[in-house]
Amino acid sequence: MNLMTAFVAALLNSFDIGILLFIIASGLTIVFGVLGILNFAHGALYMAGAYFLLTLMGTVGMPFWVGVLIAPLGVALLAVLIERFLLRRIYHRHPSFGLLLTFALLLIIDDAVRLIWGSGYHIVEPPQLLRGAASLFGVTYPLYSFFTIGMGILIGIAVWLIFHRTRIGKTVRAAALDPEMAQAVGINVPIVLTVVFGFGAWLAALGGALAAPMRTLGPAMGDTIIIESFIVVVIGGLGSFPGALFGALILGGIHGFGGRWLAEWNIVLPYIGMALVLLWRPEGLMGRR
Amino acid sequence: MLRKLLVMAVVAFMAIGFSLDAQAEGTVKIGAIYLLSGAFSTYGQFAKNGIELAADEINSSGGILGKKIEFVLEDSTGKANVGIQAARKLVYQENVDLLMGLDSSGVAKGLVPVVPELKKPFIITHAASPDVTGSLCNKYVFRISLNIAQNTKAAALIAKELGVKKWTTIGPDYDFGHQSWEFFGNYLKELDPEVVLSADPSFPKFKAEDFTPFINKVISDKPEGVFISLWGGDLINFIRQANNLGFFKQNFKVLMSLGAATEVLTALGDQMPEGIWVGTRYWFAANDTPTNNNFVAAYKKRFGDYPSYNSQGAYAAVYAYKTAIEKAKSFEPDKIIAALENLTVDTPSGELLIRAEDHQAVVNGNWGITKADKNYPIRILDPIRIFPGKDITPTPQESGCNMQ
Repeated sequence: MNLMTAFVAALLNSFDIGILLFIIASGLTIVFGVLGILNFAHGALYMAGAYFLLTLMGTVGMPFWVGVLIAPLGVALLAVLIERFLLRRIYHRHPSFGLLLTFALLLIIDDAVRLIWGSGYHIVEPPQLLRGAASLFGVTYPLYSFFTIGMGILIGIAVWLIFHRTRIGKTVRAAALDPEMAQAVGINVPIVLTVVFGFGAWLAALGGALAAPMRTLGPAMGDTIIIESFIVVVIGGLGSFPGALFGALILGGIHGFGGRWLAEWNIVLPYIGMALVLLWRPEGLMGRR
Repeated sequence: MLRKLLVMAVVAFMAIGFSLDAQAEGTVKIGAIYLLSGAFSTYGQFAKNGIELAADEINSSGGILGKKIEFVLEDSTGKANVGIQAARKLVYQENVDLLMGLDSSGVAKGLVPVVPELKKPFIITHAASPDVTGSLCNKYVFRISLNIAQNTKAAALIAKELGVKKWTTIGPDYDFGHQSWEFFGNYLKELDPEVVLSADPSFPKFKAEDFTPFINKVISDKPEGVFISLWGGDLINFIRQANNLGFFKQNFKVLMSLGAATEVLTALGDQMPEGIWVGTRYWFAANDTPTNNNFVAAYKKRFGDYPSYNSQGAYAAVYAYKTAIEKAKSFEPDKIIAALENLTVDTPSGELLIRAEDHQAVVNGNWGITKADKNYPIRILDPIRIFPGKDITPTPQESGCNMQ
């Protein structure tokens, strides 16, 4: 394998890892941007998305394509209930309440998953259509990864259009910028917050469902992803949607290229990247001062 | 009148209290420390199954010297300080007589030096770091499971037979992965000085989720043999991603030091490639002995699965204590320790000998080639290669133990 194909392979790895992180981290950053809550349970919702898909495909017998649509909706519904009955009570308190509450939710969801599905490992089969590999510039790469990369790009564009080109997007941005004024001009702010939290959870769960055919389902599978997502939003800027994209692609690049050429550094590189960004632009690359 | 009633009540409660104490006198209490929460809690569950099965079997056939076994489980959470806390709690609050457990080598290395202060025997059943029966060894700590040195010696013997010279590794980026590669490389060099070990082996971080960059790298490096020490969820992730990239169709041999763990084979089903050399600390079909056949049948009936190596390890530890106590005819810690030394125990994994010099068991290593079989829901090993403990266990001098 010459340098060119090694480069293409590293690039594909970067996108494969980065785009999945982008889907998940964008949910985290949107929830923070609008609700002002840093959701520790985001990784647990990612895990719930994967396990819901496992049950929908296994016990219920749905095909992958239907399951991948329904599983994230199920998690979003759960998140709507969480927002309505728990989060809503702490918006006006100190931010540490949000951290404590969502951390408690993380523990509860983790243990609930263990009670329901057990502590063993599970796998989800990719759909027949996406098994095997395809070649690109001489690099053999899993077909399924091309699918997740494509899905991530579509979701990114769709979310951007919703926030910037539709009335719903305007309403959400208004509610985020100045809740009182938004309420005064007739926007039902509490409902906006509920929907946004549900949407953030949907993105996390969609990430989990999309990751399931490539990764192992096991207890605490959300732990790694929540740390990576935090790194992404720190690099990109907390609350910034384009920041989530850039942060995710940078972290993907660190894994993809670092894993190939600086393998012995692969544990510390993401943290070095994060530290450099914090030194240079503490608000993140795309964050507001 | 009221006062009299009160006194009677107190006396009655005291009597009940005494009788409860008397009942406690008739039990021997085992404290077990395993991973019961987090990503690897499946290993704790397996261990619990093994202890439960052994304790019920022993209790229903008269106990140990007439005493029933009672056991208490504590969660190590994979952290050394939590494991140490758990051990102290078991000894000082729960008043256990015997200790066992430990999945993580990190926890084992932290806890082993603390055991002498607790003055109870401790049998390790999973943690594989050579150090706990090597440089850190002490009078109270025993291990009946296969350690890194034993398993990689078996791997090196297979690697030599395969005859290929250029080896690399993929292993988790912590002690276990690095030590596995170091031991494997050293043994293989001894057996075959012509072997070339990669100067740039792959160590993805533990729980890396995405192994694709490392898979691509190994394929592009064109080795002749790849030694893989990934385990558990990491190994499952790796194998599925490697399947997609045609890793197992490349022109190199693959050895997986923990590839025959039943939890991995169960999760993977027919996605586990055939024709790969895989190792395990225990294989349910390796020994056609009454002890093993009884264990596999009882386990399958009770839990619905083939026993994993961690269940076997925990099960065997309970029986090791039973054998030692019956030999010592005493529940005194020092006498149990003396009895454990040079003890031969009949376990599902075969007869093992607990060495007096370093307290490491001379135990068989199990390897085999993966094969599909329509009678089993998982890949099985065919042929099975059993490496007798004496062929793969380093001498006590080599292990570096200096028993006080």
